[in-house]
Formats: sequence, structure tokens, C-alpha cells
Amino acid sequence: MDIALLGNPNTGKTSMFNNLTGSYEYVGNWSGVTVEKKVGIFKQGAAKLIDLPGVYSLNPLSKDEGVVTRFLLDDPFDRMLNIVDASQLERNLHLTLQLIEFGSPLIIGLNMIDVAKNRGIQVDVEKLSSVLGVEVVPVVARTGRGCKDLAEAATTPYRETKKQFQVDYGEEIDKAITKLEQLLQGESSHSTRWLTLQLLEGNPYVKKYLQSYIDMADLDGLIHSTSRAVLAGSEVRTIEQFIYKRRQAAIGEILKETTEVKGNSGQPLSEKIDLIITNKWLGLPIFLCVMYVLFMLTFDWLGFPLSDALDAFISGPITEGISQLLDLVGASKFIHALVLDGIVAGVGGVLVFVPQIFILFFFISILEDSGYMARVALVMDRLMEMVGLNGKAFIPMMIGFGCNVPGIMAARTIETPRERLMTTLLTPLMSCSARLPVYALFVGAFFVHQKALVVLSLYVLGIVVALILAKIFSNTLLRGETSFFVIELPPYRLPQAKALWKSTWEKGKGFVKKAGTFIFAGSVIIWLLSYAGPGGTNVQMDDSFLAMIGGVFAPLLAPLGFGTWQAGASLLTGFLAKEAIISTMNIIYFVPDEAGLQGILANTFSPLSAYSFMVFILLYIPCLATVATIKKETGSYKWTFFSMGYALAIAYILSLIIYQVGQVFGL
Amino acid sequence: MLSMLRKGEKAIITDISKADELVKRRLLDLGITEGSEVCIKCKMPFGGPFMLESCGQCVGIRKNEASCIKVEGL
Ligand SMILES: Nc1nc2c(ncn2[C@@H]2O[C@H](COP(=O)(O)OP(=O)(O)OP(=O)(O)O)[C@@H](O)[C@H]2O)c(=O)[nH]1
Ligand SMILES: [Mg+2]
Repeated sequence: MDIALLGNPNTGKTSMFNNLTGSYEYVGNWSGVTVEKKVGIFKQGAAKLIDLPGVYSLNPLSKDEGVVTRFLLDDPFDRMLNIVDASQLERNLHLTLQLIEFGSPLIIGLNMIDVAKNRGIQVDVEKLSSVLGVEVVPVVARTGRGCKDLAEAATTPYRETKKQFQVDYGEEIDKAITKLEQLLQGESSHSTRWLTLQLLEGNPYVKKYLQSYIDMADLDGLIHSTSRAVLAGSEVRTIEQFIYKRRQAAIGEILKETTEVKGNSGQPLSEKIDLIITNKWLGLPIFLCVMYVLFMLTFDWLGFPLSDALDAFISGPITEGISQLLDLVGASKFIHALVLDGIVAGVGGVLVFVPQIFILFFFISILEDSGYMARVALVMDRLMEMVGLNGKAFIPMMIGFGCNVPGIMAARTIETPRERLMTTLLTPLMSCSARLPVYALFVGAFFVHQKALVVLSLYVLGIVVALILAKIFSNTLLRGETSFFVIELPPYRLPQAKALWKSTWEKGKGFVKKAGTFIFAGSVIIWLLSYAGPGGTNVQMDDSFLAMIGGVFAPLLAPLGFGTWQAGASLLTGFLAKEAIISTMNIIYFVPDEAGLQGILANTFSPLSAYSFMVFILLYIPCLATVATIKKETGSYKWTFFSMGYALAIAYILSLIIYQVGQVFGL
Repeated sequence: MLSMLRKGEKAIITDISKADELVKRRLLDLGITEGSEVCIKCKMPFGGPFMLESCGQCVGIRKNEASCIKVEGL
């Protein structure tokens, strides 16, 4: 049995999904966290649960909302599970009524009853269920209360006992339904009532769907004549509004019978917090402070000592142990070198940064789960407006600090195609966690006393370049179309320890996993390339294949201050995954640990060329996974190549300027 | 006009038809339309967006969009 999860944004669908399936999908406290369909298996293995993006109505505005309409029209499923936010019942029921019209078996999970209770809202569940003619189960998806009951109710065979609620849209619309029924001649398996209402509301997906059965002219005729007839005797201006009003009136009746609001409990805590966080003058400084603390913790106060300790452990006891083990089994010299100089250096060199990456992810998770993300969008909107974007575009960029791939996915929630494309193209400039090891390594070697500051400058540089490019793009390539910004600001929620850990782990897991698979394999290959050369095996590294490959790029990189084959080779592997830069360097420079590598780097780089190198790494190209995501999201090779090309050009120019100007000043 | 309200002031929306289509749709999605009571919670500096409160939820919209929405003070 396939059960689809539907509901308004930010009502706890994914929380419910995680709870019932025991898996983990992305949860956060803002609208538009889930942007694509996700499938999970129910705990008992009896049914499949399908998580979908949140929608306010079935008539979509943005791409992620379109996913839901698409799903309803094209995909087969058995039942709909509508998650409803009890504290915002009025708004939520608009969708519920549309789902009832859709006609598939429906069950309602009345979520957030804890929030509703705090606000003094009492919902009579029995009554709501009998009025709607739909089973309603009260739940708290966050804690799991009632989820068992809901799972039980959702998987028991459906019996049509009660008559479902129907909105009375008046005679004219009923006529239109009959008319469409005739036009369709029973060709569509969907409810004609639902199709008619969506068509009249201007749902482009439904219209396209109907066009495969009915002539465009007939459809337009139907819309026209119905609109005229409906609007003739009323003061509403559009048929869309007319339908909305009818639903609204029906919902008003339902609420009167089923809910009770007991005394307002004064100003909610959330609004008090907002007095400070989104204060007119404090908003931006607070955001900058938050970012500063994040970087200090990741790179200075907490992250560095932890990484150093791990480094000492890996290069000490672990390497020692492996070496002894290899001796014990009598491994050949070749194997010895492969394991210690290749794998341990390559994989260990990346794993060392796990603590820092987890700290970064932990803080990003706090930002996501608390409700601060939407506020950042609000605070940044003015700045974003100046460059032709809107504040919502900042959310993908913030997520991009963790990893560019989900960042680009998050751009789906941006309504206008132009702004969405721009955000997709610019998010790779956000410094993701895989670039963090490179910075950590280089600032440790060259900028010991200003670690966090230097790293912060790189993150800021990424944002500034993105904003300047946005301005340029919106005046040249991507002109036109007004930008638009309406954002829902969810109430703050205190992040729960368990949820935080889960979300941090899920993000960090990818990094560890990649180290164990991709980086592992890469390390072996890179080591082999450095071990073998045209002159045979076990050659001097400078005569190896790797040196030959990297050497091709060296002259090109010389004006930037790092014209060595070593830099060329690591940049090449960095396209596959940014952290591969570190493993490559570890292998090339023949050192098992971070400290040793830093010592060697000090001989080949100057502080100026090191900074130039970091800037180049920040900008030069989106990694392979990101490129694939850009291709998927834009659906165009042209834009995909553009995203790589402009990044390379900008990186080259900026690094060139930094190095050449720096040299003039004698740095 | 909504944009002329001061922080903390409450008003009822009387005419939203001049606003951009997309803005209108989104506000409608959030349950904000003609007849809704709104309250300005804060205004960002340099002509930045406003934060409104309506039926227990907060929404951010831009100043120029707010200046297309007619309201009547309470
Ligand atoms: N207090 C409370 N918070 C909840 C409850 N259910 C979910 N939340 C919180 O609400 C927020 C949104 O949860 P999600 O599961 O991401 O919501 P969603 O419906 O999947 O959101 P979209 O994917 O954006 O449509 C998270 O911060 C959850 O922790 C609940 O029953 N009570
Ligand atoms: Mg979700």
C-alpha cells in the first residue's frame, strides 16, 4: 500500500515520515525544506510512505509545489495522509478540502496539538472527524505521541462509512463539472469535480493534463463561460477568488463547530524573541555575530584542538599499529608503501577534519531547526534586492555552507524562474564543508594567529563575489521579470538534542562515508600514479605520471603564485571532490600527518601564494556532484557549462590580482 | 496604505487588487486577503521588508508590495 504525505509547508510531514519509517530525511523549521519526493518503508514493512514538499494549495506557484500536483496527476497511490497544523487550522483546511475533492481515501493527522494547546486553541477531534467525514488522529510528530495510532489507522483497510464534506460552490460550477464530465467521456481516472475546480482556479498542470483529452478551445470556452456566469451576480473579481471565498466560508462554519479559543495568553515568546532578532538595527549585526561565533568555534576555539588531537592519534598510534600489522603478516614493500603512504595518508588526511566538519554541521542544524533561517532571509532581503535576487535566495546559500548539493536543491522554493536559475548558478560559490580541510590546513601553516579571521574572509569573499555576479547577471544575461518576496516566518522552536544530533550526523555521515569509499579509491589511484612513471615503478615522484599530468597545468598557475605540478595535480582531483585536494597533497608530499604537511607546505608556498591558492580553491569549479545537480535542476548543458566556466574565470582573475598586487606590496 | 502604518499599529486590509499577482496569491495562501487584520511587527532599515502578523502567524513582505495594499486603521 502506498500512502502519500500531504500538507501545508512546515507542518511536520517529514517529522512524521521519519517517525513512522525510522529513516531520516531533512527536517527544518521553515517552509520548503522538502523539495522532492522521498519514499520510505513503514516500520512493519506493510506499506510505503511517500513524503512530498509542503503546499498551501494544489495550484502550484513554485517548482517544489509543482512536484505535488505532478504526483497527484501521474503517480499511482492508495491513500493520502494529510498532516494538518492544529495551530493554523483555518489555513490548513483549504488544502484538506481540495484533497477531499481529489477523492482518494484520506486520513488526517492533526499535528502540533502541543503548539495549539499553548496558544489556547482546543480542537474537538471527534467533531472535526464527523463534520469532514474523514478520520482524524491527533499527533505530535516531534515527540512521536500518537504516531502509532496514526500508523495503525493509515494502514487498516479503508471503509467508506461516512459521507465526506462537500463545499457548495453553487449551481454554475456544478454545471461546469457536468460539462467537463461530458467532454472527458470517462477518459480520465481522476475526480471530475476536482479537475474542474483546479482548472477554474488556473492550475497550469491540470490544464495541461486535460489538454491531452480535450481541445484547448473547448477548455478555454468552459473556463470563460463559467467565469462569466459565476462573476455576473457577485462582487468578486476572479473565479479563483470566488472559489476561495466559498471554501473560506465553509471552513468558517467547520471551525465554529469544532474549535474553541480560550483566552489569549498574551504575547507569544516567539514574538518577544523577534523584537531583538529582527530588530530594525540589530538584525544584521546579530546575523554577523552568529556567523562569527560559528567560525571561531569551528576553526579556532573548539575545532582546531580536536582536529589536532585526532591528527596526533592517526599519525601516531594508528599508523604505528598498521605498520606493525603489515610487518606481522609479512607484507611486501609495495603493499607497505601503498597502505601507509597512499591510503593512510590520503584517507587519514581527510578524516582528521571530521571534528571541525561536525561542529560546522551542528551549528547549521541549530540555525535550521530554530527558525532562524527565515529571519536571515528577511534581514538579507534588502541587500539581495539590490543585486536582483530576493531574501529567500539566501537560504540555499546558507545551506550551501554545509554542502552545495542540498543548497542548490533548496533553490526550488524560489518562485520566479530567473531568480531560481541565478541562485542555482551562484550557490556553488558558497564555501562548502569539503573546502574546509583545505583552509584548515593552510591557515594552520601560514596564519596561525588569525586563523578564524582568514577563513571568515574566504567565506565572506564567496558571498561578495556571488552578490556582485548576481548584479552583473541580472543586468546582462538574466534581465527582466520582477523579483518578488513573500516569506512565512515560522515561530521559533527550541531545537531538541536528539533531532539536532540526528541532523548533524546525517549531514556529516556523507563526509565520513566519502572518505571511506571515494577518497579511499582515489588515494590508491593517486598513489599509484605517483609511484609509477614512464621510467617504471618506484620512480622519483617528480618523474611520475602524476607529475606529468599536474605539470601540464603548472605554467598556467604560475602567475597565481602556485605554479607547481603538485598544485596542478591536486586541483585536478579537487574537481571530483574538494576534500580530495587534501588527500592528494598528503600523498604527494609523502607525509602521514597534518603537522608534517604544514611544515613542507611552508617551503613551497608563501603566505601570499597560500592565500591566493585558498581563493582559487574557493571559487574555481563546482565539484562533480554539484555539477550533476546543476544539470538536473537547470535541465540545460548550456547553463551547466556556464556555471563551471564563469567560476574558473573568476577564480583565475581574482587569484591573479591577489598574487600580483600582493607582490607589488612586497607581501 | 499598509506601508504607511507604524510599527505596532493594527489595520484591516480593504483592497489588495493593486498588488502583484504572485504576491497576492502567496498572501492568499497564507490566509491574508481582504478583510484580514494585520499588524506591523517591524520594518527593516533602508526601505527593507516588513514583518507582518496576521491570524497568529508572521509574514515578511517588501515595502513596495506593502504600498500597493490598502488598509483601514483600527
Ligand atoms: N512543537 C512541535 N513541533 C513540531 C511538531 N512536528 C514537527 N515540528 C517541528 O516543525 C518543524 C517542521 O517540521 P518538518 O517535518 O520539516 O515539516 P514539513 O512539513 O516536512 O515541512 P516542509 O518540508 O517544509 O513542507 C520542525 O522544526 C519540527 O521539529 C509537533 O508536533 N510539535
Ligand atoms: Mg518536509
